[in-house]
Formats: sequence, structure tokens, C-alpha cells
Amino acid sequence: MKPPRPHSRDAAGQATTWAQCCAGAMASLPMLFGLVPFGMVLGAQAVQKGLTPVEVPLMTGLNFAGGSEFAALGLWTSPPHLLLIMAVTFLVNSRMLVMGAAMTPFLHHLPKRKVLPALFLMTDASWALSMAQMRQRAALGIEPAFSLAYYMGASLVFYAAWVGCTTLGAILGPMLGHPEAYGLDMAFPAVFLVMLRGMWKGLRRAWPWAVSLAAAALTYKLAPGAWYVAAGAVAGILAAVIWAPAPPAARK
Amino acid sequence: MIDPANLLAIVLMAFVTYLTRIGGYILLRNRSLGPRAMAVLEAGPGCVLIAVIAPVFVSDQPSDLIALALMVIAATRLPLLPTVIVGVGSAALLRHLIA
Repeated sequence: MKPPRPHSRDAAGQATTWAQCCAGAMASLPMLFGLVPFGMVLGAQAVQKGLTPVEVPLMTGLNFAGGSEFAALGLWTSPPHLLLIMAVTFLVNSRMLVMGAAMTPFLHHLPKRKVLPALFLMTDASWALSMAQMRQRAALGIEPAFSLAYYMGASLVFYAAWVGCTTLGAILGPMLGHPEAYGLDMAFPAVFLVMLRGMWKGLRRAWPWAVSLAAAALTYKLAPGAWYVAAGAVAGILAAVIWAPAPPAARK
Repeated sequence: MIDPANLLAIVLMAFVTYLTRIGGYILLRNRSLGPRAMAVLEAGPGCVLIAVIAPVFVSDQPSDLIALALMVIAATRLPLLPTVIVGVGSAALLRHLIA
């Protein structure tokens, strides 16, 4: 057996759809280290908060955004406060507005009827994998830089893993320990750091990140809840606006 | 098996989340962007990623800070999977050693 070839091409020089889909799925595998145990913990926590093993996959399958699910379950009561749950969900997921906006310039070749369903599956991880792949393909001169098949391959692995593991966690519930003891909560930071390296374009361009990190860290220490993500992102973006390169010709 | 109040909360959550997923695309789909907007879109994703993991940077656990430092070093020179292994492995080990 040969190892999978993520860049196999057909005669036109384009990687085939299936090869792209497999490449996306393969690229998603290292991230399951973090996703699987935390899905199980989320499922177990949800049952403690009074959700049934049927409601858990309903939540994780329809909402499919782990951060907001952890945050919402932390505030879950019986019956739940609808406005509070919605506000927290929006707050935690508001970063996806920025993420979707960042991806949009690369989606012009696709019709809306394909993009809107595909965006339902967008996660931090699948988005970041796609952005990293786009950068590589753009550097190689491959058009279009965005591969829907690669994105879907990664996204579907995450979807199946997330819904599956949260359901399993809801069923196995009390038998599970703490994934922190095995360091598994460090998998996501590790993945994100490698992605940041992939986005690195010199120290000058990275200043907004430093601002974001400082603002997020400070907010995390001072304010309860998930405000820190929004605070960091907004501060970083403001910094990017202020330090934006002035002449358009100087770019790229 | 399904409580109506829980179901309503779940459906509302899903609705809000989907809006955040499509919002950026809907707003920017038919626009061409100036250099300033492009600079923001270039910096935005990194800002989001680093904000999400900011709590690790201000952890009060020495074990986690050391693991983070090792992870940063690993991330600058290793591929993805080895970096994950360095992060997870060092955090597990250090948390047991420094209790």
C-alpha cells in the first residue's frame, strides 16, 4: 500500500475531487486527539445538566460548535433561559463571522446554494485547515485556491466525530475521568499554534495578534464567561485597521 | 426523551450559530474590498485563533506554562502531529510531576 497522496493530479493539473476529500479527512485526524475526549466530556456534562442521551446529539448535531455548547451547558437550567443561552452562543461563536468573512473572497467561484450548506459545517479546525491549504495552493498558482472537497472531507470527519463522541459521552457518562489529567486539552492550543505559524507573514503583520492575545488574556483574567474571545478579536482587528498598509501596490 | 423547553433552546442555539457561520459570507459576498479591509481580513483569523487559546498563556499552573513554551518551540519547527504530541505529552507529564 502506498501512503495517501494528497496532491495527486489528473491530466488538467487539478487534484481530483476524491483525492482532495481524502486529503482533507487525513489532515483532520491529528485534531481528533483533542476533539474525541472533549466530546465525551461534553456529553457526560450535558447529562448531568439534565439533557437526555437523545437531546445531546440533537444539540451537537444541530448547533455543532463545541465552545458554545460547553458555555451554554455551564448556564443550563431547567427550563433553560433562552435569551441567555442565545447571547452566550452568539458571543462564543461571533468569531465565525470573522472567519466566514475571511474565507468569502475565495468562494466567488461557487454558487450560493453550495456555499450556504457547506458553511453549516464550518468549525475553527476545518476553516483553519482550508485557509492553510488555500495559502499553499495560491503559492503554487492553483486556481481556484479554495477546494470545497478538501473542506468537506475535513468537516465531515469533525461532524461525525463530534456528534458520535458527545453521544457516547452521554451514554457512558459517569465512567469517564478528566481528560486534563492526560494533557489532552493541550491538543487544540498545539494545533492552533501550528496554524498561526502557517499564517505568519513577518513580525510587522503579527502585531495585531499580539494585541489580540494581550486583550484576550486580560479580559479572561478580569471578566467571567467567554467575553475574552470577542475582546481579543476586536482589539486585534482594530490594531490591524490602524496599522493597515497604506499603498495598495505595496501588498503581496 | 425530548423536553420541549430543551428542544426550543437547542433550536435557538443552532439558529444563532448558523447566522454567525453565514453572516460574514452574506455581508461580503457581492463586494470588492479595499486594502484596509483586506488587511483586516488577513489579520482577523490569526487574532481569533490566538484569542481562543489566550487562557493557556495566563494559566496559573507552572506545568501548563512550561508545556506551552515547549509547544511554541515545537510549533515553529515541527509538523502538526509531532507538535500535538509534544503539547499533550509534556502537559500530561508536567502535571503529574508538578502537582
